[in-house]
Amino acid sequence: MAILKVNDLKVYFPIKAGIFNRTVDHVKAVDGVSFSIEQGKTYGLVGESGSGKTTTGRAVIGLESIYSGKVMFNGKDITNFGRKNSALRKDVQMIFQDPYSSLNPRKRILDIIAEPLRNFENLSMQEEKKRVQSLLEIVGLSPESILKYPHEFSGGQRQRIGIARAIAVRPKLIIADEPVSALDVSVQAQVLNFMQDIQKELNLTYLFISHDLGIVKHMCDDIAIMYKGRYVEQGTTADIFNNPQHIYTKRLVSAIPDINPRNREKQYHFRQEVQREYANSYNDYFDSEGLAYGLQPISDTHLVALPERG
Amino acid sequence: MWKFIVRRILITIPQIILLSVLLFLLAQAMPGDALSGLVDPNVSLEQKNALREKLGLNAPWYEKYGEWASGLVQGDLGQSFRFKMPVSDLIEQRMINTFWLSLATLIITYIIAIPLGILSGRYNDTILDSSITGYTYIGFATPLFIFGLVMLWVFGYQLQWFPTSGSVTPGLEPGSFEYVLSKAQHLLLPAISMALIQTVSTVQYLRSEIVDTKQREFIITARAKGASESRVYNKHILRNSLLPIAAFFGYEITFLIGGTVFVEMIFGFPGMGQLFIESILLRDYSVVNAVVLIFGIAAILGALLSDIILSLVDPRIRIK
Amino acid sequence: MEVNNTNLANQIQDPTKSPSGLKILWKEIVRDKLALVSLILLTLITVFVYGIAFVLDQDEIVRVDLFAIHEPPSEEFILGTDYGGRDIFGQLIIGTRNSLSIGFLVTAISGIFGIAFGLIAGYFGGYTDNAMMRVLDFFQVLPFTMLVIVFVSIVPNYTILAFSIIMAAFNWMGIARLIRSKALQEKELDYVQASKTLGTSHTKIIFREVMPNISSLIIVTMTLNLAANIGIESGLSFLGFGFPESTPSLGTLLSYATNPQTLEYRWWIWVPAAILILVMMLMVRNVGEALRRATDARQRRG
Repeated sequence: MAILKVNDLKVYFPIKAGIFNRTVDHVKAVDGVSFSIEQGKTYGLVGESGSGKTTTGRAVIGLESIYSGKVMFNGKDITNFGRKNSALRKDVQMIFQDPYSSLNPRKRILDIIAEPLRNFENLSMQEEKKRVQSLLEIVGLSPESILKYPHEFSGGQRQRIGIARAIAVRPKLIIADEPVSALDVSVQAQVLNFMQDIQKELNLTYLFISHDLGIVKHMCDDIAIMYKGRYVEQGTTADIFNNPQHIYTKRLVSAIPDINPRNREKQYHFRQEVQREYANSYNDYFDSEGLAYGLQPISDTHLVALPERG
Repeated sequence: MWKFIVRRILITIPQIILLSVLLFLLAQAMPGDALSGLVDPNVSLEQKNALREKLGLNAPWYEKYGEWASGLVQGDLGQSFRFKMPVSDLIEQRMINTFWLSLATLIITYIIAIPLGILSGRYNDTILDSSITGYTYIGFATPLFIFGLVMLWVFGYQLQWFPTSGSVTPGLEPGSFEYVLSKAQHLLLPAISMALIQTVSTVQYLRSEIVDTKQREFIITARAKGASESRVYNKHILRNSLLPIAAFFGYEITFLIGGTVFVEMIFGFPGMGQLFIESILLRDYSVVNAVVLIFGIAAILGALLSDIILSLVDPRIRIK
Repeated sequence: MEVNNTNLANQIQDPTKSPSGLKILWKEIVRDKLALVSLILLTLITVFVYGIAFVLDQDEIVRVDLFAIHEPPSEEFILGTDYGGRDIFGQLIIGTRNSLSIGFLVTAISGIFGIAFGLIAGYFGGYTDNAMMRVLDFFQVLPFTMLVIVFVSIVPNYTILAFSIIMAAFNWMGIARLIRSKALQEKELDYVQASKTLGTSHTKIIFREVMPNISSLIIVTMTLNLAANIGIESGLSFLGFGFPESTPSLGTLLSYATNPQTLEYRWWIWVPAAILILVMMLMVRNVGEALRRATDARQRRG
């Protein structure tokens, strides 16, 4: 059974104008997105900035209010569940993009990691300290760090602290919003591998948001490509990388750098060709407003946004 | 943009209504009512109560408010029980005096502030700038009433350059040249005292505005194009910095009101501030109420005016 | 590895490693000579005034002595006497104490209310912020001095606390506006969003997460407000609407100068009080400005 099921999710931001500040129009940040994630899998959400991928993630966890649509977690409706249902809230946690601003600079590591524990579990001071120390060990930091402040750690270490905080109450689903894009490339792989390790260990499900196709390929079982608030293509990692159907996906895939210098010429021609195709057939893939069409299945796992063939 | 102005005016109306309700409720809480000013204190309690009923003084507060407010709109500010005359008559001359005092203060404030601010901003981090900054620093920390006392002591009593109280020398023919001159003379010391303190925030604002503008791209461009230094200042920097300053006068009204209370008391100047304090001490509450209401409305309208002018001058404000 | 750990432990023991805002501000004050001197002087005045006032007999000082009216400074009366033959020096000490106390009280009351107001408006934003800001705008446009005077004159049980509350009621807007604009920025940061996803309540996020992060701004503003409040209180006492005459304030002493005779010929009654107010306000301001520069610089650095 799917652990998370999102049905026709819409997140609109109002545009206000006029003397009485009435809502005159909406910015459609997320416009009809549906997907489901199986327990223990990693689902990748890819798109350029402004495509609505982060907003989707934030809407699922309740940081953005949902205009319409449904979010089901473990079969229960959690749409706009806000702060009411703490048992559900406990099961969904988030890892933030910026490890510098996501940790309160005025709090010690102990207080940062213990924050969810204090909200959801009644632990004694001693138990709490032990839990935090063991969490620090899980994420590969010294348990003695509990009395330090965030600024005493590097970016990679801070992101590990953020992860420790997210897994503290043993959630089932973690929304990872560009978890490594603020880190040095040398540290990125380290954190990603570590995320995969704890996924196996704790049987976690990830909603993995990223703009980097290389990382997504490495991390995810299923991938969706977003553009201007809508899905362009969705499928397994193999579907997307080996058989991209939408012109937008093709362009993204062709843009992945290849480290093998012998393929340079080949890559160059391939990109040229895709670029030409993109220019020629733009109107076949996008409607008059430049938005993607509705999704059409082309196999059991693979969906592509194409105009309905009539 | 007219949308901003309409919206801003729409905010002003509830502000004025709220102010009047607040003052009305305060008046209700004040000891004594309109009756105490009208009848002989020796009238018996029963007779008073009967009179109260007849005058509608026992009605619920919102009915009384309605009556009071409709009187206000028609210019009826009530009766002063001390002077046994309509408040509006009592206030008229005082209001004219305070108006001239405020106007003089505003003018002197800008006469001081603009050159000091410009000099300080143009030659920032020189000795000239630090002495101007020093003046604003001390000026900020000096309460107006202390400064006023010192000014009166030095220029009124020790040097005797200015009269020490009143708004005009008694016995002069109103309208004559001597009369006007005497008025101006009485006005000058309190106005200067108030202006010297009030000007510091404007000087500081102007200075930082100019220092800020100096480093902006379009100034650097103007210089790079070979515009002379004075042209850069007159054409580019000043136009950008002075307009907002000019619009601030509406906000200054709030400070002026606080200031007049002190200054008029110290310099024995017969204006609204002095009338206010005297009336409070005499428990002449209808006068108190009228003064606060007039000053309150003046402040609200001043802020409205400044906001509108600023929105015309500085488009960034409109976005909010 | 073990060596490394003990090393770490040592670092943890060292409290200066923590980025406490208070400590940074303290360092900046020590570095700024003018502010340091001001702070020391201010502390001395405070200790001196509270100490002596504790020993002095207030009833003795405010008792009218018709045989010693308007005495100039002498050995018996260091700073002379007023129109009731009361010792000016004693009144000065007690007045300073009272002015300082009320300054602290008003700053605290208006500060607590203003900070809470600003934090709530800024944190929630949107309609809440809009509605709260309209209320604030209204208070800001009210004629402050006059309304305080009206309230003071109609409150039946007139005490120091009542006076402070009245003053604070019309004096919380500045700090509220400042805190609100800072809270608006702060709430967009990820650590606030993180707290929301971690199930922390709004109240806790506002006061335990956001507030500590703007503590330096709070300290700076409160310090500058203290200077202003001392001035406002003495101004109101000067007009006769502060304390009753039996509780002298610095403003009360200055109010004697509204009598032209006193202003012109009996400087010892009002000049010391004037100087004391000026000095105190300047000192507090020096400290506040040094703190403000420190926080500004820190913000610029990052």
